[in-house]
Amino acid sequence: MIVAETKTRQTPQPSAAPATRQQDAWRVVVLNDPVNLMSYVVMVFKKVFSFDEARARRHMLEVHEQGRSVVWTGVREQAEAYVFTLQQWHLTAVLEADEVRS
Amino acid sequence: MKRVEVRLNLEAVAPLLDVIKGAADELKPVLAVRQQVPDAEGDFAEGWNRELLQGQTADVETLLALFGSEFFASGVIALDPMNAETILRACAAVRLRLRERHLQALDDDALESSEVALEDLAEDQRKALAAYVFLATLQELIIQHLDPTVLEG
Repeated sequence: MIVAETKTRQTPQPSAAPATRQQDAWRVVVLNDPVNLMSYVVMVFKKVFSFDEARARRHMLEVHEQGRSVVWTGVREQAEAYVFTLQQWHLTAVLEADEVRS
Repeated sequence: MKRVEVRLNLEAVAPLLDVIKGAADELKPVLAVRQQVPDAEGDFAEGWNRELLQGQTADVETLLALFGSEFFASGVIALDPMNAETILRACAAVRLRLRERHLQALDDDALESSEVALEDLAEDQRKALAAYVFLATLQELIIQHLDPTVLEG
């Protein structure tokens, strides 16, 4: 996974949080919007997450058809960095607690 | 990506620049998309949004700089590895703003398929739609050079 390379600006530091919260699993979710091009979304997914073409396209279609796609799950700090990067690209990205894993 | 020079139809593009500039001005104090900040508490949320806005402003300035005096003299814009991603993001921001401010009345599906009855639109909406489509075309052109496989799928 890469994220730092794709960012043009520094991500704000995550807020201080209890250690247990930081270590819980968090989901990075991309929500549908009616404006951004499908090709643009695929390219952003490839760039931000190093997805291959098929995986990036699968997530893009999930966003397009189901309104949302979980594109990454993991520790909070990294999840926040991904959300920030996706928001820099003007995708609607949110952070959710992974209820199943946490 | 190599440096790419694109010759545009000055007569067609020049009238759209006012619309694009207008949307760019509107974006100075606000993000193109109202985003959820993971931790909505004061300083963190403020810093998060400030960083996003600074980035957006810099991106949009780069887009506008494409259409400077050189463009009006030659009709040519130059895309290169240094500005391509910045311009891609800026196009997204301006398109989102145009959609929100001028094209709200249009149906998503109609807009996506470009099946819009132009005769039903007011003049400002027509111009906004033309700018919206122009910026999408510019994005596709850049993506084609950055990652051609994306457009082949």
